[in-house]
Parts: sequence; C-alpha cells; structure tokens
Amino acid sequence: MFSGEDLEECPLSFRWRWTADSGPLGLLRTRVLVTLLFGGGLLAMWWFVDLEKQQRLRQQHMEQLQKVALGQGNFSLLDHRGQRRTKQDFLGSWLLLYFGFTHCPDICPDELDRLSAVVSTLDQDTSLPPIQPLFITVDPERDDASALARYVQDFHPRLIGLTGALDEVKEVERDYRVYASPGPKDEDGDYIVDHTILIYLISPDGLFLDYYNRMNNQEQITQSIRNHIKAYVRL
Amino acid sequence: MTAPNSSQRKACWDARDQLWKCLNDNDDKAASCQNFQSEFEAKCPSQWVKYFIKRRNYLKYKEKMQTEGFTSTEGPQQPS
Repeated sequence: MFSGEDLEECPLSFRWRWTADSGPLGLLRTRVLVTLLFGGGLLAMWWFVDLEKQQRLRQQHMEQLQKVALGQGNFSLLDHRGQRRTKQDFLGSWLLLYFGFTHCPDICPDELDRLSAVVSTLDQDTSLPPIQPLFITVDPERDDASALARYVQDFHPRLIGLTGALDEVKEVERDYRVYASPGPKDEDGDYIVDHTILIYLISPDGLFLDYYNRMNNQEQITQSIRNHIKAYVRL
Repeated sequence: MTAPNSSQRKACWDARDQLWKCLNDNDDKAASCQNFQSEFEAKCPSQWVKYFIKRRNYLKYKEKMQTEGFTSTEGPQQPS
C-alpha cells in the first residue's frame, strides 16, 4: 500500500525532472507551441484537402452540365452584314442571346432594350470582358440581312443580328429549345410569331449557363452575369 | 413589307396608350374614343392593332380574376 507521502512526492519529482532547465513557464510555452504547430498543420492539411475536393466537385458539376447543356450544336448563320458566322467564331466570348423578329409588336424591342442596357452597364466595368449581344430571328422568311441591319441600329452598337435559311434557323431553335410558331397571315401577308422570350447567357465555352425572363429586372440580370463571370472556371 | 422602325414603333405605342387611357376613363365606351381609335389604327400595323387589343383584354381579364376571383356564369351553382 502507498502512504500519503508517496503520492505527494511523485508528481513533484516528475515536474522537477522535466523543467530542470527551462522552468514551469517555459514548459507551458513549448507545449502550446507544439500543439499550435501540430494543430495548425492539421488544419492547413484539412483546408487544402477540402479545397481540392471542392474544386473536383465543381469540375464534375461543370462536366455534367456540359453533357446536358443547351446549345451544343454549331450554328452557321448570316449576320446583318451578310457574312456567314458560326458558333465557333464566338467561342471565347460571353454571349447574351435573344430570339425574336423585327415585326414584333412590343416584347422584342422591350427585351432588346433591356439586354442593351445590361451590356452597356457591364461595358463600364473594365475588369470584365466585353459581352457580345446576339439577336437570332425566328422569322427568317421576312427578316433577311438588310431587315436585321435596319433593326439592330436601334439597340446596342455591338448587337449582331443573325438569320439564315429556314432549316438553319430551325436547327438553332431546336438546339436552344426555343419555341416559335407563326400565326395566321392577314390580307397584307402580315403575321405575328409567337415565340419563347428568354435571354440566354452563354459561357466562353459556348455552353448555356443561365437564362433570364420578364420577371428579372435589369439590375438582377447585370448582377447575375457579373457573378457568373467571377465564378467561371474554364473547362 | 418592312417592319416599323424605332420612331414608328414609338408613335404606335403612344397612340395605343392614349386610346387605352381614353377607354379606361370612359368605361370602355368605344364611341367616346373614336378619334383615338382611328389614330391608333393609322399609326400601327393592323396585326399589331389586333395583337394589342387581344393583349389588353387578356390583361383586364387577368386583373379581374386576381381582384374578384373566378365566378361561374353558367351551369349549376350547386354540385349536383
């Protein structure tokens, strides 16, 4: 059996041996330092592993989105100056894409005004790459290059109007799941085309990233595009 | 036929807005807004005229639905 004296003496002699050269305070400092170094190392390692994991998940997410993305086709259309433009020509640029027609009563001019205002606002931020606005007609029967040339004048100076043969345009519509259906013609041969009224944001990889409808105001669209550009990871 | 340019569009929209204002102020009595009506038809392509009238009726109907709710005008009031 131990006596009370043995129990008292043991911790004292223990401490004496370990703190012989640095004193009790020095020991504490060493311990704290070791703990901090070790803990900090672990934390840094965890942080690094987590960062890698997040990056990998983001990459996977982008690759999955790429597989199901709209606009995987490679359109080839005529611009409003009569030059052939393919989607390949626009790779590397951020695109804002709108489908409409020049005989459109109110919604198309409204949307193109909004789109132009958004592009102009983003133009003022020199840290952002310029956005290329595109207008693809859903009414190639009436909207030839010269009709588009007249029309795009009213909007952003960089706006490019695109048209083409009926099947070329149909193919782009299918690619972006755009619905477009011409209504009945009146005695003057005039008609209205009912169509999807969304603004599409296309990344520099040529993939659909986001869309905006009539419920999103100019500020919301501008902010959303800004966020997309900042978060963008090149595939 | 070429599409209206931006000043023609604006002239049409202004004529439309004036006619709508007149109709709203006069309980939709077309007789009180004859001048605005002919101005509207002169400034806008006829397809746009049809479209804008349809759109106004639709928006009025939608507003009525939202403020007064749906009321059945025909058929049995009580489920049989």
